[in-house]
Amino acid sequence: MTFLKVRELKKHFKDVKAVNEINFEVKKGEIFGLLGPNGAGKSTTISMISTLVHPDGGDIFYKGESILKNPKPLQKKLGVVPQEIALYPTLTGYENLRFWGNVYGLNGSLLKQRIEEVSKIIGIKDRLKHQIEKYSGGMKRRLNIGAALLHEPELLIMDEPTVGIDPQSRNHILDTVLELNKKGMTIIYTSHYMEEVEYLCSRISIMDQGQIIASGSKGELVEIIKGNKRINLKFDNISDTLLGKIKEISYINNVEIISDEVAITTNNGEAIFKDIINKVSETDSSILSIDVKKPNLEEVFLHLTGKALRD
Amino acid sequence: MRIIDILRKDLKIILSDKKSLASMILMPVIISSILSFALSGSFGGGVSGNTSQFQIAIVKEYDDNEQVDKIHRGLTSSLIAGSFDDEQRSEIVENALDLDIEEIFFEQFLGNEELKKVVSYRVEDRESAMELIRNRDVAAVVILPEDFIYDMTINLTTPFRNIVDIQVIGNTDYIIGSEVAESIMSGFADMTSSMIIGKNIFIETALSKGANENAFEDIDIIIDNISGIMDNSGANVDYIQLEGKTPVNSFQYYAVAMTTMFILYAAGYGSRTLLEEKDNITYQRMIIAGTPQWKIASGKFFMMFIFAFLQILVMVTYSSLVLNVNWGNLINVVIVSLFIIFSVAGLGTMIAAATFKAGNYKMASVFDNLIIQIMALIGGSFIPLEVLPRFIQNLSFLSINGIALKSYLRIMMGYDLGSVVSYISALLGLGIVFIAIAIFILKRKEGLRHA
Ligand SMILES: Nc1ncnc2c1ncn2[C@@H]1O[C@H](COP(=O)(O)OP(=O)(O)O)[C@@H](O)[C@H]1O
Ligand SMILES: [Mg+2]
Repeated sequence: MTFLKVRELKKHFKDVKAVNEINFEVKKGEIFGLLGPNGAGKSTTISMISTLVHPDGGDIFYKGESILKNPKPLQKKLGVVPQEIALYPTLTGYENLRFWGNVYGLNGSLLKQRIEEVSKIIGIKDRLKHQIEKYSGGMKRRLNIGAALLHEPELLIMDEPTVGIDPQSRNHILDTVLELNKKGMTIIYTSHYMEEVEYLCSRISIMDQGQIIASGSKGELVEIIKGNKRINLKFDNISDTLLGKIKEISYINNVEIISDEVAITTNNGEAIFKDIINKVSETDSSILSIDVKKPNLEEVFLHLTGKALRD
Repeated sequence: MRIIDILRKDLKIILSDKKSLASMILMPVIISSILSFALSGSFGGGVSGNTSQFQIAIVKEYDDNEQVDKIHRGLTSSLIAGSFDDEQRSEIVENALDLDIEEIFFEQFLGNEELKKVVSYRVEDRESAMELIRNRDVAAVVILPEDFIYDMTINLTTPFRNIVDIQVIGNTDYIIGSEVAESIMSGFADMTSSMIIGKNIFIETALSKGANENAFEDIDIIIDNISGIMDNSGANVDYIQLEGKTPVNSFQYYAVAMTTMFILYAAGYGSRTLLEEKDNITYQRMIIAGTPQWKIASGKFFMMFIFAFLQILVMVTYSSLVLNVNWGNLINVVIVSLFIIFSVAGLGTMIAAATFKAGNYKMASVFDNLIIQIMALIGGSFIPLEVLPRFIQNLSFLSINGIALKSYLRIMMGYDLGSVVSYISALLGLGIVFIAIAIFILKRKEGLRHA
């Protein structure tokens, strides 16, 4: 029996098709990744799985049972780390953890022990007595995660848990996720950072505009763009003439400007450099650098949607 | 998840919010102190020395000599005298002239030792009396009408009954003083009218039996009795004490006024907290964990309940210890307080539910910045109600703090719980209505799911 199964799940807000009949499965013990840009529908999907938002259509099955019909079994076993910091800013870290333990029915010495363990996992033990509004962004994120761990959930859903924090906290969080998974926790991890999803997840669904556009392991996903190369070019100046000239090369699939670089994808790696240099020489721009990227999910996304994952 | 855990969290949050604490606990303490000291002069309690609580001015609209003549004329006139023979008539006239209404009223009634503890009087002409009351030198003016002596005499010595209209003009700045003056006067009227009824029955029976001299000689006894009752007018003064109208001073008044006003801010504070949880995503987080919405809302209700109780506790303690305010029977104070905060917490929960559904803080802001002020005004928290126009006084029942203020003042004056039953039932009723509306609002449509 599948651990968690999402069937034709749908949620529309007026004319926004936030989630449009998506299907995916999460297996017990894996880290499942939901990758997609802002507005793809990841949080809405998460909200429906966590019984917060009622779907307009479809169903979600936890161990074969519809959570729409009976949310209780999942609610007890589910930990959710919301995208925003969902804590009480004027309470201390300890008070926050205690309350969220209470929410899941924990009290007394068991709760104390769990707070001890959780604060060790998230690495904020020495700051527990401080009000969390005085925490750094990274510390808050860690506590936000900690609050979802007290009741030792079977399934942990993390919605963009690393947004807007320092690299050190980010690495700590990623390691924590792996650690928790190693101990047997099933995790759904959403992000618009493909590096994180690549690093953590055994299986990934790529989401865009309310739909899942590709699913599989990282290897399987990269297969989609087999033979495709992604090359980033830097110029001293980027003009329309320049872009027009580059687009004239017939085997270039995609031309995209990403900040100060021009990103192109092609499935002809042999002649490309010569042709580019020829075309550019017909303009008054000159090439500063050429960077050939290794195939990754970023390119898969670019290949599938024609746009960059990050805006 | 237990409500007590939600409540503890909500209380911790408010206790960690120094700004709210200052404005809801420190402010009423400070403001009531300032107001009490600043306005203590305008209260009856501060008027004169320790012998009398209140001064009243008495205006005699009648002329002493003219009244005696009038009694004489009246009693010998054909209308009154027609039913008596000469001897009876002279008997009545003699008795009537013996009956010194002035003496009874001033010496025996107002001069009564018990009454003197409550009120002292001075006789003034109308103009200067009005001047005195305008200058707040007296708490009330009592106007004895033109035919006061004549009518009272007729009433007390003949079968006839003339209407005696004693006017009491209260100084609106004296919350209690004028009320006391009025109740003293109606006490006097009640007492004399019961004597008049007694006398009339006596005279009627005497007349029906074919009145003779002996019967009318007994009028002496009646009049003696009247004087005797006057001498022993404890009954009437007792009546006043029974009503327990211990005057309320400015310290007491403003301690109550500020307490009842500031507990509304507990409702104002609480009315934001439900939507705040939603904005904070903590609401959603609780729902995700399977916490029913009613438990979250109950946490808010009890938080306001306990916080308002805490406010009252602080104010009662502070005002008792520092301002020397006597709140009256403490058990009654606690009971009245419980009804008041039930109603306040209900109100806060209702606005919290509406604010939550609206998704913005407009309603809570309007409540904080406008409704509380209006309630405070029409409830008498800023200025004693008596000073305000009549139509505002009539609106005071619309404000929880107005009802609360009246209840506390009554307890302070020494009334028992029975006399505030209508107030506390109103508070209870309002609280129940508020909670019912809150439940209705929260249950409507997407009551179970929350985007
Ligand atoms: N409560 C809502 N009301 C209206 N539109 C919404 C609501 N929640 C999300 N949306 C819209 O649905 C789309 C998906 O949003 P979301 O699930 O938050 O995406 P993601 O988490 O992938 O960034 C977006 O276009 C967003 O604006
Ligand atoms: Mg999101």
